[in-house]
Amino acid sequence: MLLRRCTRGLCLISFILLSCALILDDMAILFAGGTLVAALLGQYLLFDKGLREIVASVDIERSLSRNPVRKGTPLQVTAIVTGRGSSRMQVQIADLIPPHTILVDGVTTVTINPDPSSQVRQLSYQIVPDIHGTQPFSGVSVTVGNLFFEDTVQLTRERDREPVLSVQPSGFFEPPVSELSEGNLDSRKLSVWRGTDIHSLREYSPGDDIRHVDWKISAKYGKLFVKRYTGEMSSPPLIILDLPWSSVPWPAKEFDRMISDVTGMVKHTLQTYQYVSVLLISGPNILHLIREEKNLSRCISELREWMHPAERQDHFYHMKDRSDLRSSVRECENGLQQTPDPGMQAFYEAMRDRYLTVLQYQRVPAFSGQVARTLSQVTITEAYLFSLGCGDTSHIRQLARLLQSQNIRVHIRIMDAAVAREARP
Amino acid sequence: MTPPQPEYPFFIALAIGVTGISVLLGSPAWYLNIALLLLVCGILVITRTLHERGFYLVCAGEPLVVACGIMNLWAGLFSACMLAGIVYGALGLLESQKDLIPFALFCGGSFIIALLIQVSNHVPLALLVIGGLTAVILAIQSVRTYQFRKQYTGA
Repeated sequence: MLLRRCTRGLCLISFILLSCALILDDMAILFAGGTLVAALLGQYLLFDKGLREIVASVDIERSLSRNPVRKGTPLQVTAIVTGRGSSRMQVQIADLIPPHTILVDGVTTVTINPDPSSQVRQLSYQIVPDIHGTQPFSGVSVTVGNLFFEDTVQLTRERDREPVLSVQPSGFFEPPVSELSEGNLDSRKLSVWRGTDIHSLREYSPGDDIRHVDWKISAKYGKLFVKRYTGEMSSPPLIILDLPWSSVPWPAKEFDRMISDVTGMVKHTLQTYQYVSVLLISGPNILHLIREEKNLSRCISELREWMHPAERQDHFYHMKDRSDLRSSVRECENGLQQTPDPGMQAFYEAMRDRYLTVLQYQRVPAFSGQVARTLSQVTITEAYLFSLGCGDTSHIRQLARLLQSQNIRVHIRIMDAAVAREARP
Repeated sequence: MTPPQPEYPFFIALAIGVTGISVLLGSPAWYLNIALLLLVCGILVITRTLHERGFYLVCAGEPLVVACGIMNLWAGLFSACMLAGIVYGALGLLESQKDLIPFALFCGGSFIIALLIQVSNHVPLALLVIGGLTAVILAIQSVRTYQFRKQYTGA
């Protein structure tokens, strides 16, 4: 239980009065101190009664967009929260997301009006599980406060933690091989390449990694057999931090939030995977790469050194990349075919020619090459990109496409939700 | 027209009561009571817009309760009850008829404390009783809170 500032002051006054009464042997001071203690005790009992009534009325019913879910994929959660308020009591109910999941969108807290009738609120948010396995929700947190006291009760009964989230691992998948190498169509189907558990064995075929040969079984049958794995082989995600341009104003509050998010994720990744890689960029400029760092304090001190708005030497000036330009050309051609209006046709033709000219002379930006070279230094299957999203966001699209082209799952965290929608590749 | 604030009737009752008791008892330090009453009045007016108004009122009112208690214990009880009414009213804790119950309970509790002090000869014994009662209530409450949390945490 937390005593508010006013209550702490009243406790101090009553203590001083009772001490003075004892020292001076004065009944009047004792009476004043005693009544103050009685008043505080009464308020505490009233608060406790209210708290119990409120907590007893809280109920939550969650529904998931899908269950089971694959690790690293977003999941929509809708929670119906029922609770009762009380006059002069502030009530906040928070849905506690499962451990090892990250909240990516939405809010998990509702405020209940100070009304004794039962109230229903709906929460809708998106989470991304980080680790595979079964994970129940952490429960519900109810915070109740009045003028004198504040207390938080965490409801973690079985029914408050339902449903249990089943997170499936995401393995490393074998790239499709050509028909010629194995001679059948089934070989095109993706299969788990490396992992922790052996799924099955199959005969060795040319091109298979020799390290996957099961020598014991091979010796037994006189033929080479290779192991097929199931489960995941975890490698830590690459954390990419896009720092704002120092020459223009940036939202300080969002920047602080982003820094705290990145620091939290770095700590979590280090705890989970024993090492972490962080790439610091500012627009289309690569600033620094912290590669497979194992020491938390060293990593944090490096981050402290770099995590501040930086000067940008290169800019994209809202440049569309080649695939955007091609889709714009296609849109113009579609428009040209569909419109009978000569004016519009002339407009579409002019636009198409302009896009084609740009496409013809556009070179692959140096940024792409730099990113590709940087990525070749680390082994990753997913990346988290943190950005404020202020100003030009074309480098974010470019970076996300580049990562996706290398089969790297990208999770973009933009502090400004409106920009996040726009920058999504 | 705004409805009258509930703390002002209590203050008027306190002012009349304290003045009347001071005159009736012919206290040699009557001017002290009046001065402390003016202090409460001043704080009541000055702190109208402040957030921690209740705390300031208690700080200003307790010396008056002590002064009245020195004069006569029952005068102290009266001023303590009126001060509680002022503080409750200022904090918005007397908005409905139902809210009068905690106030009445406080008055009842204060009466019991006054009775206890009346029958006690020295402070330590009365203080021991008050402290002991408080400790017992807090201990019972701790056990109840533990059971309550255990029930809701599913442990």
